[in-house]
Amino acid sequence: MKTLLQIENLHASVGEKEILRGINLEIKAGEVHAIMGPNGSGKSTLSAVLAGRDTFTVTEGSVTYDGRDLLALSPEERSWAGIFLGFQYPVEIPGVSNVNFMKAAVNEQRKQRGLEPLTAAQFLKLMREKMAYVEMDSSFSGRGVNVGFSGGEKKRNEIFQMAMLEPRLAILDETDSGLDVDALRIVASGVNKLKHADNAFIVITHYQRLLDYIVPDVIHVLYKGRIIKTAGKELALEIEKKGYDWLIHESE
Amino acid sequence: MKANNLIYAPALKQEFRCRVPLRDARQLFLVNGTVQGGGAPLALRLEEGEQLDKMLQIIGIRSAEGPRELSFSESFHFGPRSAGRIILCAHTFSLDRFKTVERVLIELEEEARAQFVVMQNEHNQADHETFYDISLAGGASLDMVFLSLHGGVIRNHIDARLCGEGASCSLSGLYLTDGEQRMDYDILLTHQVPHCHSNQVFKGILDNNGVAHFDGLIKVVPDAQKTEAYQANHNLLVSPTARAYTRPQLEIYADDVKCSHGATIGRLNPDELFYMRTRGIPVAEARLLQQVAFTNEVVEKISSPELRERMQVLVEKRLRGEFSRCQNCSKNCC
Repeated sequence: MKTLLQIENLHASVGEKEILRGINLEIKAGEVHAIMGPNGSGKSTLSAVLAGRDTFTVTEGSVTYDGRDLLALSPEERSWAGIFLGFQYPVEIPGVSNVNFMKAAVNEQRKQRGLEPLTAAQFLKLMREKMAYVEMDSSFSGRGVNVGFSGGEKKRNEIFQMAMLEPRLAILDETDSGLDVDALRIVASGVNKLKHADNAFIVITHYQRLLDYIVPDVIHVLYKGRIIKTAGKELALEIEKKGYDWLIHESE
Repeated sequence: MKANNLIYAPALKQEFRCRVPLRDARQLFLVNGTVQGGGAPLALRLEEGEQLDKMLQIIGIRSAEGPRELSFSESFHFGPRSAGRIILCAHTFSLDRFKTVERVLIELEEEARAQFVVMQNEHNQADHETFYDISLAGGASLDMVFLSLHGGVIRNHIDARLCGEGASCSLSGLYLTDGEQRMDYDILLTHQVPHCHSNQVFKGILDNNGVAHFDGLIKVVPDAQKTEAYQANHNLLVSPTARAYTRPQLEIYADDVKCSHGATIGRLNPDELFYMRTRGIPVAEARLLQQVAFTNEVVEKISSPELRERMQVLVEKRLRGEFSRCQNCSKNCC
């Protein structure tokens, strides 16, 4: 199977502080990778670096995505290339409605692929269809992006946006945090509907719970900016029972 | 002059004609300070109970035929229980160095209701200073929206007085500068009697070396109890060299009032920007969306949907860096 993402010896810092200290990771099309690890291990930094957040400086290593140097691309170019970041804390944008936001995003993606913009009718149809994926009420479309949304609604909105953009590599940063069981099921089923042989997912989570719904092919444990363990999905159950300490001991 | 018997531009030149006039408006042209075809300054008087059925759009034009320095005045008198909607547009027709000083008198008698939209769209050589003298009698209500879109120097001095109980005054404004433009708002809003309401929202986006000054004072006299007065001024600096100065002030001499003011000077939110870019919205477009969102609060105060939509288009074009042209008249805007 084709390699979609290749991370080699990735180091990244914020200011003087090094957070990622040599990450190696290969993701093939069709795979779901879970990244677990204690707080402060660098999970969110990894996702932000992959999406192009400029608060982090890559000091060493490389990231190749679909044969291209990912780190040379701007955040929007990464999006056009098919990268999607589901935010742990989705941002509120007062004054920009969900529908205008998505219209700008979808039509820009189309423009980059040499396609005509969607007509208003086509766009609304697409929007309705994808909102149904995450059982989102149509009243959300006129509201400001994430403004006044509950935690669960914000996460559903992330998955809805993912469904609209149909990325090839989706990175979901703690999409399960702050979700009740019903919302978790809805979010997970949205992800499962979008999964196919040509795309891949990186699911960052603290809890094994999400992985009951989104079954990973591989689980990585991140600790102090390095992957200290890579194993199959059964690892999540072991972590649930025993915590991270034994893995940390093993690695030290 | 009676409102429904206006001089309607009899000797109008072709270039002044509007391409797509507002459906719901009558138009009147004020060329270098006098009513086109009439030769006199504008004085509008609504009789008791008179209702203007359509909006009255007064298109003020400075052209090369007039003097470089000019001062003139207009007056709007709303009789008791009368109502009307006025659009005041200010434009320049040639690229001469104009200096204009304008006085606008707005007088609302008991329970009169007036809506004003002031749209200022002049070129970079124009220096336009306007003094608004506003008074409201008991139960009168005024809703005024200022859009300072373009101009070398724009100064608006607003002196508004709530003189009768139950009067209500809403002032909103948007100012957009770029290049070397300067826009000032200098506001004195006085609550002279109890039980009046006032609200002010002024917002500005400053680009390049643009400068804005906001100087707003709410004054509540000793007996004006139960006053409600609010003022907000927010500025967005979108270039490293743009400057905004703001001085929100309250002088309250009554003890049973609800008053607040707030002012901010900030930059575009980087988290919002990054979020939009991760969805594929290019940085320039993302910045534009943020700026348009910032302006909405003011533009949405325009009650006529047709006019509001046009102003939204104008503001967006302006923020894209195009010198605003609306569809209304063949030269510039409406």
